[in-house]
Amino acid sequence: MTKIFVTAYAETPVSRARVDKGEKKLTIEQYYAWALNMVLEQTGLSLSDFRGIGVGVTGSAYPRAEIWSAEVVQNLGLEPRLLLRGDHGGANGAALLVAGALAIQAGYVDHFLILGADTPMNITGEAALTWRYELDYLMPVGMMGPNSMAAMMMQRQIHQYGYKPEHYGKISVSQRENASKNPNAYFRTPLKMEEYLNSPLISDPLRMLDICPFVNGGFALLLSRDTVAKKVTDKLVKVAGFGSWHNLDASNSLKDITTTGVKNAVKQALEMSGIKLKDIGLFNAYDDYTPVVIMQLEDAGFCEKGKAGKFLEETDITYRGELPLNTGGGLLSYGQAGMAGGMHHLVEAVRQQRGEAGERQVKDLRYSLVTSVGALEHGGTFINNYAIIFGGE
Amino acid sequence: MSEYKRPLPQITEYTQAFWQAAKNGQLMIQECRRCGHKQWYPRPSCTSCGSLDLGWRQSSGKGSIHSFTVIRRVVANSPDFQRDIPFVIAEVDLDEGVRMYARVEASPEQVRVGQRVKVSFREATPEITLYTFSPSA
Ligand SMILES: [Zn+2]
Repeated sequence: MTKIFVTAYAETPVSRARVDKGEKKLTIEQYYAWALNMVLEQTGLSLSDFRGIGVGVTGSAYPRAEIWSAEVVQNLGLEPRLLLRGDHGGANGAALLVAGALAIQAGYVDHFLILGADTPMNITGEAALTWRYELDYLMPVGMMGPNSMAAMMMQRQIHQYGYKPEHYGKISVSQRENASKNPNAYFRTPLKMEEYLNSPLISDPLRMLDICPFVNGGFALLLSRDTVAKKVTDKLVKVAGFGSWHNLDASNSLKDITTTGVKNAVKQALEMSGIKLKDIGLFNAYDDYTPVVIMQLEDAGFCEKGKAGKFLEETDITYRGELPLNTGGGLLSYGQAGMAGGMHHLVEAVRQQRGEAGERQVKDLRYSLVTSVGALEHGGTFINNYAIIFGGE
Repeated sequence: MSEYKRPLPQITEYTQAFWQAAKNGQLMIQECRRCGHKQWYPRPSCTSCGSLDLGWRQSSGKGSIHSFTVIRRVVANSPDFQRDIPFVIAEVDLDEGVRMYARVEASPEQVRVGQRVKVSFREATPEITLYTFSPSA
């Protein structure tokens, strides 16, 4: 079977567009251009080398043209054979990676370039459009968007499994330590548990430091077929396996709001890659909220459902630890670049697999697992669930 | 009555019966005439069998709190809720077996997971009457 390798990656420094603090306020078009330029610089390739490849573009939080992917390639001077746009929320990057890998395996393209950028900090006035169900049945009763939904999941976790604030805090504090070694991250000042516990309640039991902050940023990943990958780079990172599942338990009106479809996705990804969970040396889990990280720890199988509290008490989850988790700081500390946010977890895993993570490099890393969730579900958790495994020969 | 400044649902061809019933103090949920599946929120087809033949069943209006949150900050598209803060929103599991998001009219310290609640109705506009829940027994 065709092997697929990641042959380039890019991640721009992020900004909260605080011009008063000397931060840059760039447009989404600039972040796309910057991310692509980083790929060209890293690989030495030129735009003409990308004629006839596949390109995947993430959606954006601020309403863009309905035909957004076309505008992106026109702006950038790309001439692809296949052009896809993700609309999978937090799972945008992973969904495009799976689609791109399938397109390469099918023989349709040799390379697939995933570009993701978003600038939620530039939104003024008109808010992003949201789901019809949220407009009709959530907002009128006083729900305040994703924060309120994540808070309900967390409340139920606490009720069912007895988790303590310190369990959620450990994720926030550990990821900040990782971020302190990532020059691209927005929040790099180390955090104490006390600061977590003192951070204000936003939507009980969710605290400010359980919630990822928005940033502006851009990313890229280049996937290449085995026969041409070596022409791009010697630093090949194999896509060892992937899995996905949507709308788990679709017709159940009373879902378990502490479980995601990540359990199905990870099972598929492990089967495809032929490895066991114990072979995984790094885990990047989508972390818009700390309770969502806990669900993925359980659903991936690192601990039993309901046992994440004990697991977190006993496990060092920093880049130095037994299970390095969100080694780049995650969305909680690096920041969430809107609809492109989930690219961070993928790019960081690739960087680690190449041994290019600097001070936060995980030692003797063989395999990395990235799980992504996206699209909050009415009365449940997330509709889109993905797992990607990198590593191996 | 002063102008209503909060988000309102859109009434559509297949949801108008629900909103009309709410004005009469009845909480309706969709029930599939083919397979008997019950669902909330209203959709144009049955999520269990795909049938378009959906009817309405009146809920007892009784249920229990599956989970809840205390809203302490409003977001940009809902500024008028500021004057209610803090307030409770819950996922209520109706006894008929569907889950809905709704306001719980009780102070945060009175609310817990598993608590029994019952529905009541509050007129928002001449077209829209919203359902709300309060602790029972
Ligand atoms: Zn049916």
